[in-house]
Amino acid sequence: MNKILIVDDEPNIVMSLEYAFKKQNFEVFIARDGSEALEILKNNIPNVVLLDIMMPNVDGYQTLKEIKADQNLKHTKVVFLTAKNKASDVEKGLELGADLYLTKPFSIKKIIAIINELIQ
Amino acid sequence: MAEKKSENKWVNHPLVYSLSIAVYCTAWTYYGSVGIAAESGISFLPIYLGPVIAVPLWIIAMRKIIRISKQNKISSIADFISLRYGNHRFLGALVTIISVLGIVPYISLQLKAISESFEILTNTSHSLTHNIFYDTTFYIAVILALFAAFYGTQKTDASEKHRGIVVSAAFESIVKLVFFLVIGVYVTFYLFDGTQDIYDRISKTENFEKLISFNGLESGFNWLFMIMLSFMAIFLLPRQFQVSVVENLRERHLKHTIWFFPLYLLLFNFFVIFIAWGGKLNLGETANAEYFALLLPLQNGNTFLALLVFLGGFSAVISMVVVSTLALSTMLSNNLIIPYGYLSKFSKADPEKNTNNIKTIRRISIFSLIILAFLFYRSFSIELSLYAIGLISFVIIAQLGPSFFFGLVWKRGSARASIVGIIIGFLFTFYTLILPFTIQSLTESTFFVENGPFGIALLKPYSLLGVDFLSPPAHAFFWSMLFNTITFLVVSISFRGNYRERNYAELFIDNKNYSSLQDNAFVWKGEAYVSNIKNVLNKFLGTERTERALDLFFRKYDLPKDTEKADARLINFSEKLLTGSIGSASAKILISNVIKEEEISLIEVLKILEESKENISHNKNLQEKSKELTQLTDQLKNANNELIFKDKQKDDFLDTVAHEIKTPLTGIRAATELLIDDEDEMPSELKQKFLNNILQDSDRLSRMINNILDFEKLTTDRISLDSKTHNLKKSIEKTIESLMHIANQNNISIDFSQIKDVEMRYDEDRIIQVITNLISNAMKFCDKANGKIFITNKIAGNEVEVCVTDNGKGIPMEDINYIFDKFYQSKNQNTKKPEGSGLGLAISKQIIEKHQGKIWVENIKNSGARFVFKLPLNN
Amino acid sequence: MKRRHEQKLVILSIVLFLCFNVPIILIFDINYAFFGIPILYFSIFSFWALSIIISYIVLKKHYE
Repeated sequence: MNKILIVDDEPNIVMSLEYAFKKQNFEVFIARDGSEALEILKNNIPNVVLLDIMMPNVDGYQTLKEIKADQNLKHTKVVFLTAKNKASDVEKGLELGADLYLTKPFSIKKIIAIINELIQ
Repeated sequence: MAEKKSENKWVNHPLVYSLSIAVYCTAWTYYGSVGIAAESGISFLPIYLGPVIAVPLWIIAMRKIIRISKQNKISSIADFISLRYGNHRFLGALVTIISVLGIVPYISLQLKAISESFEILTNTSHSLTHNIFYDTTFYIAVILALFAAFYGTQKTDASEKHRGIVVSAAFESIVKLVFFLVIGVYVTFYLFDGTQDIYDRISKTENFEKLISFNGLESGFNWLFMIMLSFMAIFLLPRQFQVSVVENLRERHLKHTIWFFPLYLLLFNFFVIFIAWGGKLNLGETANAEYFALLLPLQNGNTFLALLVFLGGFSAVISMVVVSTLALSTMLSNNLIIPYGYLSKFSKADPEKNTNNIKTIRRISIFSLIILAFLFYRSFSIELSLYAIGLISFVIIAQLGPSFFFGLVWKRGSARASIVGIIIGFLFTFYTLILPFTIQSLTESTFFVENGPFGIALLKPYSLLGVDFLSPPAHAFFWSMLFNTITFLVVSISFRGNYRERNYAELFIDNKNYSSLQDNAFVWKGEAYVSNIKNVLNKFLGTERTERALDLFFRKYDLPKDTEKADARLINFSEKLLTGSIGSASAKILISNVIKEEEISLIEVLKILEESKENISHNKNLQEKSKELTQLTDQLKNANNELIFKDKQKDDFLDTVAHEIKTPLTGIRAATELLIDDEDEMPSELKQKFLNNILQDSDRLSRMINNILDFEKLTTDRISLDSKTHNLKKSIEKTIESLMHIANQNNISIDFSQIKDVEMRYDEDRIIQVITNLISNAMKFCDKANGKIFITNKIAGNEVEVCVTDNGKGIPMEDINYIFDKFYQSKNQNTKKPEGSGLGLAISKQIIEKHQGKIWVENIKNSGARFVFKLPLNN
Repeated sequence: MKRRHEQKLVILSIVLFLCFNVPIILIFDINYAFFGIPILYFSIFSFWALSIIISYIVLKKHYE
């Protein structure tokens, strides 16, 4: 079973994503911010992390850095999912080591397709 | 180069300067004044009133003189006058001769006083008739001469300061004053019972009235002329010029002297009449009134006191002689001997020899002067009282007056006029003052005095042209000054001075304008080579000093070190360097020997000076303009930076707005997509949930858009308040009503029982908006389990304060300053969904400030936050 | 020191000159003594002392 960690502080968005991925037979983990995410990642190794950037406490960039630094997570794909869509933001995200950079608003169908492809 | 910095600070105290000027009081003051006070009454005073009147003027006059002298390294009054009139060699020599003629009698006066006071003290008889070698005065003179000769000539650069001499003179001024006051107090309060007692007794003697009164209008003239005489003396006496100008360390010492010196003179003179009268009462008419100060204590067996008085007088003599001979020897060497005798010799010799020669010349001068004074004393002192000799000395020195004083203010005065004026003035002085007593002492006949030369009554030396109501000194002063001044003025107007004189005239009189020009103020045209000038300088300063000086010069004017041609500035600079050693006249001669000067017209001189002045002021203007320009550029830079910053702020704002709008949109789209794609797999409660989410997010979106538009309108001032009179209590209650249901949902109690009625003007909708926002915030932050919100209001002076307090954790310190900024969301909210737009407090702030009010937040120690806003009552 | 304050001292000088001379000084030429000091002397000394005080005040206040 594929595992996905969804990190976002917007409850409505999380709810939709959780339902969608659960329908795809993913095991879904949820974190409201970076620190919760890192907690979860201590004990679980998901195939992919969907990462928002603008979050309280630890933001997306910081979380990405931590994930990249963790040897256990070197096979975990990290995908940014954010409303920040300027060219410079995309550059920054990819430079930091994100595997993909996706913007909000998004199509759920598209996201599922992309994620599936990614973890193949 | 000139002053050595003294490590001892106290020697640089302004008091030292002020006291050194009291070298004006000599044995004449000590003994002569008492003599006059006893014989003729008030006429001892004018000698001190002149300086008292002169000294307040020093703030302008002396400052100017000191400044000019420092700039030009002037070392004596002969230097000063000769430089003023174009660095004129003969004029400098003439001033020197007049000074010597004037001061030698003065020194002999001091010797006379020493001799007589010594004899009184030791009770020996008058030794004048004896062989010179039995005359104690001779030995005193020799010792004095040797002492002064070596003490005063340690340095060759005469413009350097003689700190040691000045400090000793200051010390001696203290000694002489203290001892004189002691004797004054002794006579007045010990020998008698105070001033009233002396007066009562003396007023009973005959002819007393004339001692305390003017005795007629004519003596008013004597009085006036004596005052004018002493007024000039305080400027012109060589020893006064030395201590007040040459030895001045800092201009601001004048600040103290101007009140201190008159005070000194007052103290010195106060007891004179009482000593005089006491003497008259106790010693009678036979005793020499001049030495009452000695005789009175001696009469009472107080030898110690008499000794003190003698020492006081002696110290007065020493400081006078040392300072005067120093001044005179400088003049003699720099203005008379070197320019007229030694110049060629010096040019060929080496610097060390030159220095020694100069020193030797000065020492011999001092020695000779004192010996000459001694001879004068032996020849003439019987006939003349101390007082009379002193006045003769003053009148001779006064001949320098017209050139000196006019030279400070009148540009047209010329060297020729000074020379002729001084000579004529001196001739008059000689005829009316010196000749009579000379003839009298040599021929024992009074014919000349009583009948005039060859019996011509109108030419009687003491009453020329029938002016017979003046005392001899006043008479001499009047005529000599009259003719001196008239000659000076007439000759100045009739014969033009040369351009050099005019150059210096400009420098002296308009000193303020030119002081910034310094070396540039000297105008000169011609051809000169640095190497030639260097040779001359080497002869007197040595190669090392010359190298250093020229180095400084080239660096100052940014010239290459191997400059070949010398310009006016270098010539001026070199002349000044030499002036200290050999005087300005000789310096000029030496330098002019090695350069080729061209005639330059007066007009050209003035033109060049004007140009130099203009250049300097032009430069100043340029500097100011460039400073202004830099300031403007900075201002522009700042404005530009501000614009860039504001621009970025706007960008940031738009970015944040975009983000805030996209977030609910994302939620709406995701939920909608799920519902559309659902093939009946979703349980209906989940469907409801998603639909609710969509609703929620739509509301959120519309709220956000409204807030943003609101905020935008508020910040760009496009909103006008709809202010009417409302009841604040009612408005608050309205607000709370609409929020009650949310409060109840979350177990939050709102306490508004303390609200008072207040009628005031405000925009109710907007204020309700603010209160709504505050209460919403409070609900977000208050305690989760047992939320309590208090709302209160109070009137404080001219304002109403409304407080919304919650019992949460308070605002984190890091947020407190930013909480009213737009889009700032605290990290410590209760609800998971950020319900606010982040703009609420920012909008509230805008609204309150539009009402001319203030809004802020306070933390109540760990137990919540209190938001307060206040509004003015009369809007 | 500013011009106008310097002028105060100049005026002091001029006033002293006038007060110390005939005819003003003759006003005080009366045969009377104040504590043993004849009035003429007393007035001269008083003007003298006054000028010292005035100079001191002017200099203290205005000499920067």
